[in-house]
Amino acid sequence: MHEMGIALEIYRTCRETVSQHGNGRLQHVKIAVGELAAVEPDLLAFGWEAVIADTIDDGATLEIEWCRADQRCPACDSAKERSEGSWLRLCPDCGTPLEVRGGDELDLLQISFETDDEDMSTTVGESA
Amino acid sequence: MKHVVTIRRKALAASEEHARTLRSRFADARALVLNLISSPGSGKTTLLERTVDRLADRCRLAVIEGDVATERDADRIRALGVPAHQVLTGGACHLDARQIETALETADLLPADILFIENVGNLICPTTYDLGEDFKVALLSVTEGDDKPFKYPAIFSRAEVTVITKSDLLPHVPFDMAAVTEHVASLNPGGTLLVLSSTTGDGMDAWCNLLLGRLADKRRS
Repeated sequence: MHEMGIALEIYRTCRETVSQHGNGRLQHVKIAVGELAAVEPDLLAFGWEAVIADTIDDGATLEIEWCRADQRCPACDSAKERSEGSWLRLCPDCGTPLEVRGGDELDLLQISFETDDEDMSTTVGESA
Repeated sequence: MKHVVTIRRKALAASEEHARTLRSRFADARALVLNLISSPGSGKTTLLERTVDRLADRCRLAVIEGDVATERDADRIRALGVPAHQVLTGGACHLDARQIETALETADLLPADILFIENVGNLICPTTYDLGEDFKVALLSVTEGDDKPFKYPAIFSRAEVTVITKSDLLPHVPFDMAAVTEHVASLNPGGTLLVLSSTTGDGMDAWCNLLLGRLADKRRS
């Protein structure tokens, strides 16, 4: 997977958001990574460090929320476990294709940054 | 002033936007688009050459080739009289939607009935990048080992069609076809598995019929 390229795209989106609010510096970025997204969190963290190094946002922290996939067999009507890192698609008990929900997230969730204005208030808002 | 902006946006949203634009453009052009993914040397280009031999007089074909270096693959396709554009990725190990957009601007590839995108030889990275295709095709040659589907689950679970290539070499390699068939089915219950040899022509009819069938389906929908 492309952890470096992904880190770069995340950073670009963050930078764009910060720029919309004036001169600012990134402080903290929260993302969701699904276990089936084929993204290795350690490599992504490493890529993040490399991307922000020597920029105005150097030091900004990346928080990764790990999202598990939910697998259910419609025939057995029960959740099915699989071993860590496996990509089981058929029910180990009856062989029916499993319904898989989630686990493929790769989402930017929240960006915290500081701008150079005088106003001391904190704002929380939605961004498209 | 401190700001906290809550955002729910895919990290690869920019790339995905380009892929959506491409998908729409391909729909308008009524072209069937395939994204061929495999390890280097699985036989993607050779399969395309033999496909051109069989279908070029029935369908308008076009090819986008992705490689790190050389125009060799595009040259091979062009030698058969089919429009082909070579994307040189400058070291990147997968094609992305922006490069496909540039290819369409640069070369006369559309209108076409079937556009083949031969991705950079790599079983991992291309899997995640949407190029606006109708479906991904994973190739696995019999010389690569029958353990590959489980070792590379992402591509084999996402490719609608898996093609086992170089079947003419089966007598010479320890490739358990039954196991591979079962493994691919367990990763991809709704997918199609084909076995063929570009060299002998074995299985090529089924491959060509699949392409024509999918083209007809797309045109009907």
